[in-house]
Amino acid sequence: MPMPMPMGVASAVSSSDLFKSHPDNLGRPHQPEAAAVSLVFHPKSNHLRTVSQHSFRRRPPRNVDGWIGSELRMSLETRNGPSSADRGEGLHRIPGSPPLMAASPAVVSSIALPHERSKKSVCLFFCEEMRELAERVALAGDSIELRSITWRTFEDGFPNLFISYAQGIRGQHVAFLASFSSPAVIFEQLSVIYALPRLFISSFTLVLPFFPTGSYERMEDEGDVATAFTLARILSNIPISRGGPTSLVIFDIHALQERFYFGDSVLPCFESGVPLLMNRLQQLPDSDNISIAFPDDGAWKRFHKLLHHFPMIICNKVREGDQRIVRLKEGDPRGRHVVIVDDLVQSGGTLIECQKVLAAHGADRISAYVTHGIFPNRSWERFKHDNGAGPNNGFNYFWITDSCPLTVREVKNRAPFEILSLSVQIASALQI
Amino acid sequence: MAKRANKQVNLFYCAECEELARKVADHSDAIQLRTISWRNFDDGFPNLFINNAHDIRGQHVAFLASFSSPGVIFEQISAIFALPKLFIASFTLVLPFFPTGSFERVEEEGDVATAFTMARILSMIPKSRGGPTSVVIYDIHALQERFYFGDDVLPCFETGIPLLLQRLHKLPDAENITIAFPDDGAWKRFHKLLLHFPMVVCAKVREGDKRIVRIKEGNPEGRHVVIVDDLVQSGGTLIECQKVLAAHGAGKVSAYVTHGVFPNKSWERFLHKGSEYQFAHFWITDSCPVTVKAITDKPPFEVLSLAGSIADALQI
Repeated sequence: MPMPMPMGVASAVSSSDLFKSHPDNLGRPHQPEAAAVSLVFHPKSNHLRTVSQHSFRRRPPRNVDGWIGSELRMSLETRNGPSSADRGEGLHRIPGSPPLMAASPAVVSSIALPHERSKKSVCLFFCEEMRELAERVALAGDSIELRSITWRTFEDGFPNLFISYAQGIRGQHVAFLASFSSPAVIFEQLSVIYALPRLFISSFTLVLPFFPTGSYERMEDEGDVATAFTLARILSNIPISRGGPTSLVIFDIHALQERFYFGDSVLPCFESGVPLLMNRLQQLPDSDNISIAFPDDGAWKRFHKLLHHFPMIICNKVREGDQRIVRLKEGDPRGRHVVIVDDLVQSGGTLIECQKVLAAHGADRISAYVTHGIFPNRSWERFKHDNGAGPNNGFNYFWITDSCPLTVREVKNRAPFEILSLSVQIASALQI
Repeated sequence: MAKRANKQVNLFYCAECEELARKVADHSDAIQLRTISWRNFDDGFPNLFINNAHDIRGQHVAFLASFSSPGVIFEQISAIFALPKLFIASFTLVLPFFPTGSFERVEEEGDVATAFTMARILSMIPKSRGGPTSVVIYDIHALQERFYFGDDVLPCFETGIPLLLQRLHKLPDAENITIAFPDDGAWKRFHKLLLHFPMVVCAKVREGDKRIVRIKEGNPEGRHVVIVDDLVQSGGTLIECQKVLAAHGAGKVSAYVTHGVFPNKSWERFLHKGSEYQFAHFWITDSCPVTVKAITDKPPFEVLSLAGSIADALQI
């Protein structure tokens, strides 16, 4: 079957350049006709609709395990025959096997970084729960090599760690992909994070997609203990390497002022997962009927600039007597596919309340996006698929990124959940 | 010796240290217990509140910590980082047992020294109006670990041996006691505190593929031998020593360790089974509260409390 060529790049998006959407798999057999939109859209332009009309249709590759990532390699694959996804291999390749394909010069130049710096070769270490994302990052960037650490414990429960081939990383750029999913796993990862910069490496980057503890921080009384500040302090004390202060990559930090919690010995680099959402929304058949809803002003402040070409709805919580209920503050969801956007989800209460209000005001269907799917105590179970039966029955889509790997494992093949991978953004952040 | 007026100290503590904290407060009128509310958010992260934070302004404050497992470190560190910034007069961290130190052997590049990680975290404790935080640690495993701490903290290295000395003097056979060290490391650490006792020093030697314990110097014959070490993990070393000492004619064998770490209930191997036993006494301090709860009232175990020693250290 002849494969269409991906469209050339018009211009790059914000800080993370490599946002090319690709003809991709929806993992949902009842929607085979998804428009393949190959574009890089400029947030300030209005020509998104025009571009999507020029999109090429393509049968999506079958079942890549419920994943959707704007993986460069996937788009490159389409030029050279059936993708590995079509062959049922999916994206879970072992590093060290041959590259998926060699890119043609025309395609490569169209996805080159706008400013041509030579690529840094990076040694990427990772904690076990991030292994899958680390493998994707290594695939997404051709100069990223995975490295291993032996994670054992002594009898008393304390870590017994060994960094393999430590001498081999001298003079190299090194990164560590961390995940602080619970307090218990912090100490072992911290031990590695403090040890790596001192091994004569040329630079150190810590990628911590989700910065925990930030979401509840409300210092209202003297006596409240700000654990976000504790964590920021601990990270600010990462030893400097020959490359100077450690770069610290965090996605959608909960409170914008938390950027000031970090001392001068680290260089925080704040990224967002929202470009992945924008990519994904363009692929939907009803992409011109989408409105974005924010559950509160905080979410609006954080995200409206990245999404301003969509009509917007803002909710807020008001007090009625003893209760707090969600109300619509501005915007009109009538007849629209409304996508609620927030940085994270815990119990899901806020999203469910928003869903009720939006449905009551006539939304045609409701989806949600959060960068961080924390979902403690399996709270994702509250989110059912609407099965085409309307917004009172559930959600059409629920997008999360792979910042919280323990949740990803639970929800990856469960409708309405879809995982948008941060791998491409992380790979490009490693080039900063 | 000039008598300084007693400092009034507000003592906070982690949940597992409550019993020891009460004992410390009982030792001195100058020490008052204070509370922290230790809760968790749904995602497992700590939700802490320091009660009566205004009342401790201008006061000396201390925190009694126990890092019995990596999971409990973060919540205690959050409190430890927060307290010095509440306009208190001085801050002392009492961490009787400094974990991770016992396995540290950075032999190859790539070995990760977790003791150093822990020392680094403690060295980050903010300064209070009283200057650098004092960090009180008992019988740190490797003497060089004192150099792991930065200049923003003042490590204060104490020992539990005086408690042992007191206890030994009360024994009916106090005249017949000999101290044994399982290796040269223990001898280096403790012999000066125990000079008035005869000593036996053991050593591990290689015989082919095996490592066995031998007596290097001293004679245990007919004596009540007390094996002294800083800590016990599985107990293997102590058991091997006891066998060798018994084989060389020791009348009775007992043991003292400051820190009864005993992972995975390894203390079970030492319990008296009827009249059958290898150890007449096994003394540990209350530096490891989780163990103390498990072995209370189970012979041969006896707990020697650090409470008095800690109360004195808070007056420094």
